[in-house]
Amino acid sequence: MGSPANDVPAEQIILRWDSTASEDARVRMIFEGDRDEIDRYLHAVDQIQRSMDNTTLSEDESKKVNNTIQIAMARLEDEFRNILITNSTPIETESLTDSISSNPLTPRTSSCHSPDNNERNNKRDIEAVARISSASFTERKTYVSCRSMNSIREQDLIPQESVSDLRCIAKRMITAGYFRECVQVYGSVRKSVVDGSFKKLGVEKLSIGDIQRLEWDSLNAKIGRWIRAAKVCIRVLFASEKKLCKQIFKDLGSAAADDACFMETVKGPATQLFNFAEAISISRRSPEKLFKILDLHDSLLDLLSDIDNVFDSKPAESIRVQSTEILSRLAEAARGMLSEFENAVLREPSRVPVPGGTIHPLTRYVMNYISLISDYKITLGGLIVSNPSTGSRNSGDSPTGPEIDFSEHEEQSPLALHLIWIIAILQFNLEGKSKHYKDNSLAYLFIMNNVHYIVQKIKGSQELREMIGDHYLRTLTRIFRQAATNHQRATWIGVLHCLRDQGLHSTGSFSSGVSKSALRERFKSFNAIFDEVHRTQALWLVPDEQLREELRISILEKLIPAYRSFLGRFRNHISDNYIKYTVEDLENAVLQDLFEGYAVSQHSRRRSQ
Amino acid sequence: MPPTDHHGSFLNRISIRRNQITNMDVNHEQELEELELFQKHVTDRFMQLLQQNQTQETTETRAQAQSQLLSISWFQKLLDTYLCCESEFKAVLIINRDASCFSKAPLDRLLPDHLDRTVKALDICNAITHGIELVRHWSRLAQIAVDALEQRPIVEGHVRRAKRALNTLLTSMMVDEKENSQLVGKSAERMWSIGRRGAAGPTTVNHNQKFMTRSFSTCVSKSWSASKQIQAMSTNLVAPRGGEPTGLALPVYIMSSILVFVMWTLVAAVPSPERAGLGAHFQLPRNLTWAHPVIGLQDKIGEEWKKKEKKGTAGLLVEIQVIEKVASSLVEFADGFEFPVGDEKADEVAGQVAELADICRKMEDGLGPLQLQVRELFHRMVRSRAEVLDVMDQVGKINTSVLY
Repeated sequence: MGSPANDVPAEQIILRWDSTASEDARVRMIFEGDRDEIDRYLHAVDQIQRSMDNTTLSEDESKKVNNTIQIAMARLEDEFRNILITNSTPIETESLTDSISSNPLTPRTSSCHSPDNNERNNKRDIEAVARISSASFTERKTYVSCRSMNSIREQDLIPQESVSDLRCIAKRMITAGYFRECVQVYGSVRKSVVDGSFKKLGVEKLSIGDIQRLEWDSLNAKIGRWIRAAKVCIRVLFASEKKLCKQIFKDLGSAAADDACFMETVKGPATQLFNFAEAISISRRSPEKLFKILDLHDSLLDLLSDIDNVFDSKPAESIRVQSTEILSRLAEAARGMLSEFENAVLREPSRVPVPGGTIHPLTRYVMNYISLISDYKITLGGLIVSNPSTGSRNSGDSPTGPEIDFSEHEEQSPLALHLIWIIAILQFNLEGKSKHYKDNSLAYLFIMNNVHYIVQKIKGSQELREMIGDHYLRTLTRIFRQAATNHQRATWIGVLHCLRDQGLHSTGSFSSGVSKSALRERFKSFNAIFDEVHRTQALWLVPDEQLREELRISILEKLIPAYRSFLGRFRNHISDNYIKYTVEDLENAVLQDLFEGYAVSQHSRRRSQ
Repeated sequence: MPPTDHHGSFLNRISIRRNQITNMDVNHEQELEELELFQKHVTDRFMQLLQQNQTQETTETRAQAQSQLLSISWFQKLLDTYLCCESEFKAVLIINRDASCFSKAPLDRLLPDHLDRTVKALDICNAITHGIELVRHWSRLAQIAVDALEQRPIVEGHVRRAKRALNTLLTSMMVDEKENSQLVGKSAERMWSIGRRGAAGPTTVNHNQKFMTRSFSTCVSKSWSASKQIQAMSTNLVAPRGGEPTGLALPVYIMSSILVFVMWTLVAAVPSPERAGLGAHFQLPRNLTWAHPVIGLQDKIGEEWKKKEKKGTAGLLVEIQVIEKVASSLVEFADGFEFPVGDEKADEVAGQVAELADICRKMEDGLGPLQLQVRELFHRMVRSRAEVLDVMDQVGKINTSVLY
């Protein structure tokens, strides 16, 4: 059991495998040979180990045992390393990439755009959206239906037989006090394997400086890739490494060997992984990044419990801390970006009036942005907790921002108030833009078009409508209707003025009583003004078909009766030459030409296609 | 934890100031005083750091209050100093200031430059954190040797064990330093001789080399160079000429200089990727009065760097230097080891082992907190940068355009 005589065979076995002593021992590996040899060697190690505890050993014997143990441990360390290297392959990713859906985790509300009948508008909408949300938006629509990477799924990284061999070796090394060597070997081999897996998963090594310099499109794509890779890294890669450590090291010795080995393996890679997300969270804030940042935030939030699970030991605390720090920075960044957006809308400075008074690109952009916000309302609702700072911007001269009284909207969430505020800002900005039109009538048309667009967008989305609320919706409706009225008045008062009764009757004693010259002037004026209006306003645009019809009909409702009655009363008093239009002509001109955005030729009456 | 809106904090402070009816002259004088105080504090604090070293040179005692230049505890003081200066700097820059000066010369150029330097410093912090991790790894290897050689009597088994660990350690220190495998001079010789002496066995050494991926290929891309970062940070660092309107150019310059100095020192001390030419990449002009202590430190550190760069070193951190020295010496002892060890030799070795043990303990105790401090630095720089960006945005210097 412990007598020196019995140790000789054991010692011999160990010495035989001293790689510093013979070429053969250096070239061959015990654990690649037959099972008997392996068992014999391990048995020998155990014997020597036991004899170390023997207190009756002479100094000479003790010295021998110490030397032998060291040789055995050195050998086992090499064997350990060799088994690991031979069996270590980077993680298998093919089966994983299919099952990773890019489906967002917090439910997104579905409807985003109301179908626009006008094709031109549709196309522009889609382009505008694409610019804001890029991958984020289109990915939502492409749903990968396979099961998604949403839970921990460990793989077996090393064949079971090797695992048990490794455990046998680790047990001996730790018992002999060679714990540190064991951890160091394990860590250095496994860490390279993890690095190899990172390469396969496309985890990049970008510095913070690199990331600041990237174009948004490129960064956008990288964030998407990172999200997918991070899910695999945490739920499969790191989880599997942890499982492997447990299989090999758990309950060996008193020093929580499995935790130590796990940290040795993954601390560097995990830090590298999170450094990317951290770099994103501290990069410059600009509004179009908002939704991708929210995607990143949500993914990280979703991963948090798994992160806590996988990195649960004390040495792993820094990783847990880092991920929560990143999360809160992302939240802060999101809040900042929303603020930036509001400022940008308020300050958007373009002065060139949109031709034809049609929908301004700013309006489209803002409404699409708002729609996306409502899609992300669950996430954003949790992050936005303070009301918009409307501030007292009106310092005397000219107001620099809209006035809005939030007391009428007390029951609405802060996020909803932000949406209302954004619309108010948009309107305010549009008002300013409308003043650049030389023609008042066009200015009103512009406002009418744009505010109507806003209303339609809100009505077209249930979430938006709910958030913004009917009260404000009514306010907006009032505004565009008022604009429509103002437009009509501005345009047609002059025209209708020609058709008034007063001033046409002479104060003579004759019964006919109509001043022919005045009448001639009237008709000439009417024709000229109507021509002008017809020609000019045919080029103007009301993109919404229904609104266009309503406006035309409303115009005709005032124009036609007035003209008809005018004609009826006075046509006999004047030669036909002065009468340019029949009632039908007017109707056609208005119904077919006005607000189409096409020029009418002067000499023919254009028929609609 | 309820999310809070940090966004408005500094802005509120600025606008409050702006709306106060203040006596312009009194305000201006106050500002000048603050600037002078800031300058003085910087000089004082760095003087303390400089004097740490000078006191050590005259005493042998390991007094806890004194920290040897470039030791772990000295670095803790250095980083602390930086954080104090940074707080004061922020106060000077942002409070009591009319924010519109941010959008005018010279700040309209100086601040973006400073922010750019900050981003580089953030990357350096990350590299340093990784480097410290590596140093921890080395200390664990050293600890193996310590444990082995503390056994009595020292037999061959212990020596071989220590030697294996020390060889791994020394190879790791060399590999990292010549990461791009341009082994030159002494380090190549050393590596080859380690291989030849082969107590660790050539197979082992090969394996060690292959998996000696403690190098920075795992942390940053191959093209990132700490030395180049430092160089970029210091190229446009130009001392302001007197008489500029805001009086803020000087504190910005001071703060930037300190930042570069701290980063430069960290890179020299802790293993970092690609440090060739570091010594030449940062030089403060010698005529700056406030900078005398910093220049003093710079001189000493620069000299050390020159000395060690030729021989090849893993880093100027005192503890690393001790490990390098003692480990090499112990490996030599191990090579020539014959049982039993004579008394004189045994005492010598015991002394060295004790020294190594002491260093390992210092590292065990100090590297963790140092890493946390570096992380704190990181956070502080991130926050300051965000706040300055906010202010600059508010004054419309940077116009966020709506892209459509």
